[in-house]
Amino acid sequence: MQRTTHRRLSARPVVVSLAAAVALTATSCAKSEDDAATDTSSSASADAEQKVAEPKPGSKTCTIDTFGGKKVDLKNATVGFSQSEKEANPFRIAETQSIKDEAEKRGVKLLTANAQSQFSKQISDVQDLLAKGADLLVIAPLNSDGWEPVFKAAAAKKVPIVTIDRKINATPCKDYVSFIASDFVEQGRRAADQMIEATGGKGEVAILLGSAGNNVTTERTKGFKDQIAKEAPGLKVVFEQTGDFAREKGQQVTEQLIQSKPGIKGIYAENDEMGLGAVAALKGAGKKPGDVEIITVDGTRNAVQGIVDGWISGVVESNPRFGPLAFQTLDGFTKGEEVTQDIVIEDGAYDPDNAKNDIGKAY
Amino acid sequence: MAEATLRTLPLDKARVLHWLQRYGVYAGVAALLVVNTVITPYFLTVENFRTQAVQVAPVIIVALGMALVIGTEGVDLSVGAVMALAASVTALYLGYGLLPALLAVALFAAGVGLAGGALVAFVGVQPIVATLALMVGGRGLALVLLPQLKDLRNPALASLGSGDLLGFPYLILIAAALALLLGFVMRRTTFGRQLLAIGDSRPAAQLAGLPVRRVLITVYVVSALLAAVAGVLATARLQASDPTSLGNLMELSAITAVVVGGTPLTGGRVNIAGTVAGAVLIQLLTATLIKHDLPPSWTQIAQAIVIVAAVYAARGRGKR
Repeated sequence: MQRTTHRRLSARPVVVSLAAAVALTATSCAKSEDDAATDTSSSASADAEQKVAEPKPGSKTCTIDTFGGKKVDLKNATVGFSQSEKEANPFRIAETQSIKDEAEKRGVKLLTANAQSQFSKQISDVQDLLAKGADLLVIAPLNSDGWEPVFKAAAAKKVPIVTIDRKINATPCKDYVSFIASDFVEQGRRAADQMIEATGGKGEVAILLGSAGNNVTTERTKGFKDQIAKEAPGLKVVFEQTGDFAREKGQQVTEQLIQSKPGIKGIYAENDEMGLGAVAALKGAGKKPGDVEIITVDGTRNAVQGIVDGWISGVVESNPRFGPLAFQTLDGFTKGEEVTQDIVIEDGAYDPDNAKNDIGKAY
Repeated sequence: MAEATLRTLPLDKARVLHWLQRYGVYAGVAALLVVNTVITPYFLTVENFRTQAVQVAPVIIVALGMALVIGTEGVDLSVGAVMALAASVTALYLGYGLLPALLAVALFAAGVGLAGGALVAFVGVQPIVATLALMVGGRGLALVLLPQLKDLRNPALASLGSGDLLGFPYLILIAAALALLLGFVMRRTTFGRQLLAIGDSRPAAQLAGLPVRRVLITVYVVSALLAAVAGVLATARLQASDPTSLGNLMELSAITAVVVGGTPLTGGRVNIAGTVAGAVLIQLLTATLIKHDLPPSWTQIAQAIVIVAAVYAARGRGKR
């Protein structure tokens, strides 16, 4: 009897240490291609500040009096940050880093949590942050709905919330203070402008759509199509297939595309990864840089490098550096100033003229 | 007269179903080829067939391993995760050169296969549960080893992905060689016979003194190794290691190919040629819908119809 309990007790540490041993031995003697090359991205990107696009006249604002909290000095406050997805893609990495950098710069105590793409975990993450004494919250929401438990807990403590990159369906200035994000429709329009310029406004183009049922996909598509219809009726969208925001899928779909429509002049990829997949497909088919104009959205380092190499014609940036703007908003709000409810950040753009100089700004 | 029709009708239906189960997948492939020749521009070009073959090669390779596992009345849900693991291990060890990296990949994959096989053979865990655990854990490990996409520039790896021999891309040659090899193993070797006997009835195989555990473990290791080959080839083709999305839903594609190819999920029978044809059928179906720019949701619906049709045909055969 005693022996079995003993064995059962020791089983778990054995499994854990075994797993750890596997991970350790796997990485300890690993040698990837460019271990020697040091990563210079983080330092170079620091100067790429985030700006607010000019606020629309008459846009709604929020003050601490209407919200109903008490003023605090941001310097002495604790800020909780809840990230939605694992920091496994450049956007999320840059986003979290920007929040951390800004907190450090301002000397604010920051608590962070990552929901690993599980919504229930994000809800409990935020509740944990509140329990740990966060006075202010910055949330990158995974979903738009289902936030009532968090609002209730935050309202009880009168904790202001700023959401970034995705919107929460709730009442601004009551449930949360401000929402900071890019205008995805505008990104689509700007991509269309770049496409018109690259193709001369004539010919057939294709769209590599993002994941189905995602608002980023629908908005980037809408902006692109509206602008094409308005500005360049000679440009026809003849192909729209999903690449699921992934490089391999973008490659496979593009291979089918250039097979069946060899006369295609341009490809609009709704994120950089699919655009890079399209580049791989064009290379595989023996095409040369510039044969097909590729326009992408995001602004990751690899895509901007693609412009320098001549394979990509333009990249519209989707700015992940929410740190400065989020803290600026919280700072103003807690001092009692008016802050805008919907804050649209300014996205940059890369084209063959500025790609080489501005690649340091890419994330 | 009426009696006669009543009596012959069910027989004919059974015969049709039997025929469908046996040759339906080939008929489907042939039908899609004919339809596409008529309606799809630039379909009858060497380039097009090369594209389709290169895209389907990894699916075929994974489906071959899946067919063996299903032949033992099991299922291997971990194949997609093993592909992702292969991708990250490749990136991790490529600094030593391609061959050492491939060895490391084989070691990791064999480890996963061994774990799955041991759980099934020794612990007696249901295959779907054992490999489900490995599917979750495998992708987790892949992401621990390489948290984000990494570009690879190794020229040997690149040529593996895009090079060819006498006009045939390596990917296609490798897939074809593996299909022939497994076809031979299933038809002509003791191992193949033992595998089918275990799939038919594990207790009977045990009583007959067959090395049940050894065969089961071997099957899961082979399945994992094949998935790893597919993972390395897909990585080589992309020239980037992407453990976050590589191999996503691959287990379902592979099971679809196997089932559509006429291998029953109840085990005891493996149809290698049918599995290859099943993968080709799904690939052509997807390609047709993409080339004609139909909404992606249609692809899923079309796949569902093919699967239901295949299972319906199989059911008919089982009842006979």
